Amino acid sequence: MNASTPALEVRGLVKHYPGVKALDGVDLIVRQNEVLGLAGENGAGKSTLLKALVGLVTPDAGEIYVRGEQVKLRSVVDAADHGIGMVFQEQSLVPNLTAAENIVLGSEGAAVRRGVYRWDTMRRLAQEQLDKIGSDIDPLARTDTLTFADRQMVEIAKVLRIEERSQHPPVIILDEPTSVLESKEIETLFAQIRRLREFASVIFVSHRLDEVLDVCDRVTVLRGGQSAGEVATAGAEPGELHRMMIGSTGSDDHYHENAAAPVTAAEPRLSVRGMSGKTFHGIDLDVAAGEIVAIVGVHGSGREDVCRALFGAEPTTAGEIRMDGKKIDLPGTRAACAAGIGYVPAERKIEGMVGPMSVAENMTLTKQRARCTGPFVAPRKQAGLVDRWIERLSIRTPGRDTAIGRLSGGNQQKVVLARWLVAGDIRLLLLDHPTRGLDIGARSEVYRLMRELAASGVATVLLADSLEEAIGMADRILVMNDGRVAAEIACPSGGKPSPLDLVKEMV
Amino acid sequence: MSIPVALQPATVSAKARPARRLTGFMPIIALAVLVAALTVADPGFLTQRSLTAASRTAAPLIVLAAGATLVVLCGGIDLSIAALASLSTVLLALWLPDLGGLATPVVVLVATVIGAVQGTAHVLLRIPSFIVTLGGLSILSAVALVVSGAGTVRVVDDSAVKWLDLYVGGYVPMSFAVAVVVVALIALVLRVTPLHSWISATGYSESAARLAGTPVDLVKVGAFCVSGACAGLAAVMLVSRQFSGGPTMADNLLLPAVAAIVVGGTAITGGHGSVWRSLAGALVVTLLRVGLPIVGVPSAYEQILYGVIIVVAVALTLDRSRVSIIK
Amino acid sequence: MTVTAGVTAAPRRRTRRGAAFRDAGPPVALVVIFGIFAALSPQFRSVDNVQNIVDAAAVLAVVTCGITFVLMMGSIDLSAAGVMGAAALTVSLLVANNRNDNDFGLLGILVAVLLGCAFGCLSGLALVLLKVPSFMATLGVSAVGLGVATLLFAGVQPNISDTMLKGWAIERFLGFSYLTWIAAACVLVGWLVQRYTRLGRYAFAIGGAEEVLTLSGVRVKPYKIAVFALAGAFYGLGGVMVTSQLGAGLVQAGDGYDFSAITAAVVGGTLLTGGRGGVLHSAVGVLLVMVLTNGLVQVGVSPYWQGGVEGLIVVAAVAAAVIPQRRRNQVVK
Repeated sequence: MNASTPALEVRGLVKHYPGVKALDGVDLIVRQNEVLGLAGENGAGKSTLLKALVGLVTPDAGEIYVRGEQVKLRSVVDAADHGIGMVFQEQSLVPNLTAAENIVLGSEGAAVRRGVYRWDTMRRLAQEQLDKIGSDIDPLARTDTLTFADRQMVEIAKVLRIEERSQHPPVIILDEPTSVLESKEIETLFAQIRRLREFASVIFVSHRLDEVLDVCDRVTVLRGGQSAGEVATAGAEPGELHRMMIGSTGSDDHYHENAAAPVTAAEPRLSVRGMSGKTFHGIDLDVAAGEIVAIVGVHGSGREDVCRALFGAEPTTAGEIRMDGKKIDLPGTRAACAAGIGYVPAERKIEGMVGPMSVAENMTLTKQRARCTGPFVAPRKQAGLVDRWIERLSIRTPGRDTAIGRLSGGNQQKVVLARWLVAGDIRLLLLDHPTRGLDIGARSEVYRLMRELAASGVATVLLADSLEEAIGMADRILVMNDGRVAAEIACPSGGKPSPLDLVKEMV
Repeated sequence: MSIPVALQPATVSAKARPARRLTGFMPIIALAVLVAALTVADPGFLTQRSLTAASRTAAPLIVLAAGATLVVLCGGIDLSIAALASLSTVLLALWLPDLGGLATPVVVLVATVIGAVQGTAHVLLRIPSFIVTLGGLSILSAVALVVSGAGTVRVVDDSAVKWLDLYVGGYVPMSFAVAVVVVALIALVLRVTPLHSWISATGYSESAARLAGTPVDLVKVGAFCVSGACAGLAAVMLVSRQFSGGPTMADNLLLPAVAAIVVGGTAITGGHGSVWRSLAGALVVTLLRVGLPIVGVPSAYEQILYGVIIVVAVALTLDRSRVSIIK
Repeated sequence: MTVTAGVTAAPRRRTRRGAAFRDAGPPVALVVIFGIFAALSPQFRSVDNVQNIVDAAAVLAVVTCGITFVLMMGSIDLSAAGVMGAAALTVSLLVANNRNDNDFGLLGILVAVLLGCAFGCLSGLALVLLKVPSFMATLGVSAVGLGVATLLFAGVQPNISDTMLKGWAIERFLGFSYLTWIAAACVLVGWLVQRYTRLGRYAFAIGGAEEVLTLSGVRVKPYKIAVFALAGAFYGLGGVMVTSQLGAGLVQAGDGYDFSAITAAVVGGTLLTGGRGGVLHSAVGVLLVMVLTNGLVQVGVSPYWQGGVEGLIVVAAVAAAVIPQRRRNQVVK
């Protein structure tokens, strides 16, 4: 291997999931002692690619080369043996063990002899790792007593153990490491990354394009499961990257903007004043009937919790919520349903639907009056109702008694949506990433539905999957930053803001 | 985005379905095999007399298992049913002299309330159901010991519960008929009301059920109420047969009841199953119990058999796709 | 036990203050409760009674030691009663007794402990290979243990005549019975295992974040089985100790110990969700439970209430531990 052999190279990686091609022939090169940025919208294939690189996902096709040699990565251990390690977005430390134990976990070596711990040796081994990154954390401190930033240092120290394992300069993957750090902590982290470059290669993933440009030597942009191009960061602009991430959106009216009805209602349907909770503070929010309001913000901005709080699924500590001028109380989800509020959760498979139950049952789970006569389920009434909505939303299913888990993602989502529509009393819809994991056709249908509902007078709060989606669908956009509303941007059809306008407020 | 449109339906748990189908018939198959085996072992088994005796033995077990099935369908477990039944036998025996015919409904009501208290503790305090009911088991046993003075309470005048000892049509024991009616009633109520989808949704995916506005907490408390009521009714059956109540009288019914539920094919992970299955499961367990001596196996093996059955049946019916880490 | 946690972000920072309070709670409660009973009842504060309490705690301490490791993993073990019964019958038939001519002495005790170990293995295998939740697996294994005990019992109670085993319960060293010293040794061994062996630390870590261990390339399955086996060995020894106390092997030797042990461990500060607590915590918990039950009897409460008191405190202790972590839309099964 000479100095020009890439530390890591990916050629034509393909990975299918049912209904979606997550990776569609990705190419990637990581040179030695280089910090490579990886950018892309949600669903561009970043996380699948990273998982494939650490052996958590087995690709359907394509090759991975480490220092010029083709490898097959079957597990995290496999990847570590080849010198590839990842600092996971959700921290992967055992909270109730010491930092030292976490650092050597899985490759204790001399620290454990015949199953017996040698705390001195362990401490020394861990200290060596921490010294590499110049951290002064006490190796014997319990991990859950450390700050988030310190824990991240422990995690980096842990990943660096693979150096001992593979006897080669490692490739370290940092997945969204800055998303919950404060600016001072981010500075420290960047110093670490620059230090890592001395003896390792780094893949850095972040939503914040300015950061990517700041810390990386080169950026590869993914789009739709393919490599959309690469940019040398010297002198590059965030706007340039962003254009590559978005590319040209297929059809002109992807978001059915011409179907957007003007909002005329004078009184807001939903009016929130000073709502506070664990992760959000003093939220003011108005949504008129027929209006779509998107809330955007980075991971950790608190927008998900705001959405759940409006459905009574997250406790609030202060604030007032009014529906059509009437003050309402949301101690739980039942109260929200009764108030005409509906919620489509982001985790469709876990929270949105009951997989083994039928389409009919999933659709009628909430509104009993629509299918019951008195306290009894009227089978014929239910069948008619369900069939009507299957037809109306053109849900492709073998029948109303098919288990919802067997439908495609888009059709599942339509059933979940229909749940709130069957009774005809829906006034406010909370859509938490309604198009997550859907292919482009299904997305388009969901957008069309949203337009129809808005036109019929339903107020909508949207947590969009991407800025594009938020801008395309919303009449108004609220930008959240660190639990507060940072800006409110009008977003009328014909006068849409650019993504960069929003990004400015988000970070 | 240039992701191609793919519209084939997602293949979900296609592999799990044949296994599901098999476990669906498991209790019936087991029942048929058992009856056949016992008939071969002892040609005298398939007579009206021994069948009547067996069904009479099965009655309290059926009722206990049917009630607890609802809790299991919600994804929980009720380990207190046997202790609650024991306590109920003591209370019934103590109250019969004073309350006469009223004692039966009062005892069932008290048992229902105790079930409700446990369910409420589980839901409000967010304590796992097995620990609430394990604590309940301990508390109820203690109460039974104290109120009975740790001894058997004899029933002198059992006229108020004697009706359970009659025979319907001369052959079918009244207690068995009542048990079947109870199962049918629970099944019917579930079938014609939204309760069935609420219970299934709670058991399959509690968070999805809650976010769909299902009254998850009420459903759970209700399941514990039914479980308690059934324990009370089982106690009435026991007293009518034994003419006494005792602080540990029903304690040895816990394992058979749990075994009946899981043998019936109700998944311990919740959602999948029915009270009819538990009825079949209870019959299987009862046949094993009366059948062991017939084929010449010492009754000490009964316990071992329960243990093995529980583990194997749970392993067969468990829905592994939904629990990634099993503790 | 299958508790699926709802999806929420972990808090960014945590302080140790809460943890320190938790760790100090049970010992403080022990002192306070002891003080209250000592003030209420002169009988309670007599030296004899204190010796009684400690001696009576011996078996429970050993059983709790075992169950603590299982609870630390986040699993649960209901098999103590059955395993103890089987071990009690085994040891009483292997040492000098009135049923047969065996006189294996220490070897018999060792076999009984190993039998417990084997039962533990069985629970672990059912959990790991068949994926049966531990409370079901151990419920089944308990039934099997009771069945084995009933088979060995065969209708005639084996009374032991082995002087050494009988002496354990009677002879005293420094004022405490041998059983108490054995229990103390068990706690020490348990603490060493927990602190200095991979088995103990991994058991702790499995309760903390099992998925992280897997992600780090640790194969957790063998450790889970080993933890159940270790617990089984402790139950086996517990069964032997009960036999020593009773002078006979009884099927019911372990009756109630499973629940008492869970109570003691939970009261001592071991979380049912795993990852917190330990052998020393549990030892404090055992003393707490014993002081409470003994004290209540001394002030005139019927001993029948013992189980009821344990039931109440276990529910209260679990509820108290759960309250700080309560979230809406949290799944509790």
